[in-house]
Amino acid sequence: MDILYLLIPMSAALVLALLGLFAWALHGGQFDDLDQHGEQILDAAADCLDPHQGA
Amino acid sequence: MPLNPSAAGVLDDEVEFARFTRFSVEGTGPRIAESSLRVTGMHCAACATLVEQALRRANGVIDVRVSAAAQCATVRWQVDQTRPSLLVLAIEQAGYGAVPDTAAGARAMRRQESRDALWRLFVAVFCAMQVMMLAAPSYFGMAAGPVADQKKLLDWGSWLLTLPVMIFAAAPFFTGAWRSLRRGRIGMDVPAALGVIVAFVASSGAAFDPGGVFGREVYFDSLTMFVSFLLGGRYLEMRARHHAEASLEDSFGRLPETALREQADGSVATISVLRLRPGDIVRVPLGQAFCADGVLTRGRTRADESLLSGESVPIDKGVGEAVIAGSINLGAPVTMRVDRVAADTRYAAIVAMMRSARSQRPAAYRSADRWAAPFLWAVLLLSVAAAAAWSAIEPSRAVWVAVSVLIVTCPCALSLAAPSAMLSCTTALARRGVLLRRVDAIEGLARMQTLFIDKTGTLTESHGASMRITRLTTPPRDAHIADAALQDIAASLAAWSSHPLAKALAAASERPGGGVVWRGLVETPGEGLQGRAEDGVLWRLGSRPAALAHAGAAHAEPLIGGACWLSRDGLPLARFDFPEVLRVGAADAVRALQRDGVRVALLSGDDAARVDALARHLGIADARGGLSPEQKLVAVREAQARGERVAMIGDGVNDAPVLAQADVSLAMGEGAQVARAQADGVLVSNALADVVRARALARKALRVVRQNLAWAAGYNAACVPLALLGLLPPWAAGLGMATSSLVVVVNSLRLAR
Repeated sequence: MDILYLLIPMSAALVLALLGLFAWALHGGQFDDLDQHGEQILDAAADCLDPHQGA
Repeated sequence: MPLNPSAAGVLDDEVEFARFTRFSVEGTGPRIAESSLRVTGMHCAACATLVEQALRRANGVIDVRVSAAAQCATVRWQVDQTRPSLLVLAIEQAGYGAVPDTAAGARAMRRQESRDALWRLFVAVFCAMQVMMLAAPSYFGMAAGPVADQKKLLDWGSWLLTLPVMIFAAAPFFTGAWRSLRRGRIGMDVPAALGVIVAFVASSGAAFDPGGVFGREVYFDSLTMFVSFLLGGRYLEMRARHHAEASLEDSFGRLPETALREQADGSVATISVLRLRPGDIVRVPLGQAFCADGVLTRGRTRADESLLSGESVPIDKGVGEAVIAGSINLGAPVTMRVDRVAADTRYAAIVAMMRSARSQRPAAYRSADRWAAPFLWAVLLLSVAAAAAWSAIEPSRAVWVAVSVLIVTCPCALSLAAPSAMLSCTTALARRGVLLRRVDAIEGLARMQTLFIDKTGTLTESHGASMRITRLTTPPRDAHIADAALQDIAASLAAWSSHPLAKALAAASERPGGGVVWRGLVETPGEGLQGRAEDGVLWRLGSRPAALAHAGAAHAEPLIGGACWLSRDGLPLARFDFPEVLRVGAADAVRALQRDGVRVALLSGDDAARVDALARHLGIADARGGLSPEQKLVAVREAQARGERVAMIGDGVNDAPVLAQADVSLAMGEGAQVARAQADGVLVSNALADVVRARALARKALRVVRQNLAWAAGYNAACVPLALLGLLPPWAAGLGMATSSLVVVVNSLRLAR
């Protein structure tokens, strides 16, 4: 069970890293409007995601 | 989101602060402004009081109303004494944030608030899950005995992962508690913050000094879970509030940002609507909202005024007809002359009324506020007593029980019970076309026993109810048809049309739409409606028939109101005159109210005989005609002296004193300005049926308030003893507290649907 001495600090560090990742995503506005990207395909005037598609 | 000094300075620009401010001058006194501000950082009714006090102390402030439920403040201030930036500064010095209540600022603020709340919630939930993992071994007894070192390690890990929760996620509770303590008051956050701190200190002691004063037990799992449940509850509350605010803004925030003004040289310039002045000529493209109140000068169109009147059918507008700001141009591009701009428009008046209703705290809330402080003291004393008692019985559980008691009691549910229901009822009423000026009116509407209705303009329309029938020609074969039979035929035909006169004709009949089965119905706009009865006879109802065109002078039309002709096989038989038209739905509304147990009475300044005739038609027993405004007032006072709760609906200048005297009063949307200003609410759509619906909704709101109070009281009565007996672990207490306030909010939201 000595492995716990390594795993517990590691998991704690991982948790803090994940928190940082979520903070970046949230404050970048990724969760502001969850419907926006789903509705984008209905908007004919929107920028084309892949201009080479179908060419 | 505090404004930096330079941003606050921009607020003092006259054009800028006109966006959230209305001006008035009382008598010869100084110019007075009324500004709406959105306040951030308020969590409970006690915060609203703090912000109010801070603003009242500021120089030049006349009156302040702050609502915690709507998170907004309405300030009346003297223009020559202070500036908007100073008001914002006063709020910020009290420890809260403020921005002007315009849609853009509010949206940005909502987004920031929602990000912030989501971030705190995520930190708390994520850490709570990890702490739970580390705590699991001790639940299964693994940490006992030989592996004490590893138990210590697990506890330290838990402590480390609890730190972000304590320092960041739980910060709103600490700042909230600190703010109220600094003012020498006790707020809702105090017990929660105290519970969290006690649990954290005791657990930290146990983790780093096992067997010391705090024993061996750690509560990091309970602590983090409690914080996440509480934040989860607040997050959902916030979402509900944002949703209500956004939908209100959607319906009231439709003014365009720019307008196309025709310059003196005939060119067109795009300018900000804030720069429009009365007298400007403005082009309004198809599909855009009219930017100001004014008159059409060129073109012909249809306008959608549903936003302001609830009337969903677009209204035809020709040159010289008035258009209102916020309504939408549906027909064709037109040109209008601006008469009233910005804060003076009817649109702005409605928005201001909505805001003032939102920022009020009626008597019902104030009693809840008074309750909160003693309640919270009782909670603190109880938890201290519980800790003392348990340290005698079983010292290891003393901290645990005290924390549970602190956490489980929920004054939030009690204090949210009335405001949340009233707010969502006001919003629902506004969507249905009844704008309330005072939130207290909801109680009045639900409890009214006697309803006085004014006749002309309220019950009847301006060209308003007793239709007259005049026989024109009576060929021998038609002489046997009675007037009533002709009227029935006309009403039955009229039921198929939506023309106002036809509606009135159908409404005046005992059995509209009944009697005749029509075939081949054709309606020609502006001319009339024709159809064949079962016996193949062609009946026509409409404007003056061609056969009478040359002999028109022989039949003088009424000066006011309208007339329509009924003809059979092209032969005019009768003319129906409408000196007064009963409002559509008025008869049904009166009957519905009477069924509901409301005594309906007519008060009118009109001729007594006509009032009696109308009252008989509507089945109203108590009708008084020929009254002066003073006599109307006496009638209302007499009813009040008998102990009745009196409601009044009126429209005219002569109704204003009566509207002010009645316990609850409603004015017609097209009524006189002074009547609308005196009334507690306005029927924007002018339909009496709205009164019936509003009353039903108001009664439902009172029911919801009672349910909320019963739930909050029942919850506390059940859970506090459980916690005192040590049967409720802190995590369950946290879940219970969050759920109890959530139940209250969700229950209130049912009204807004």
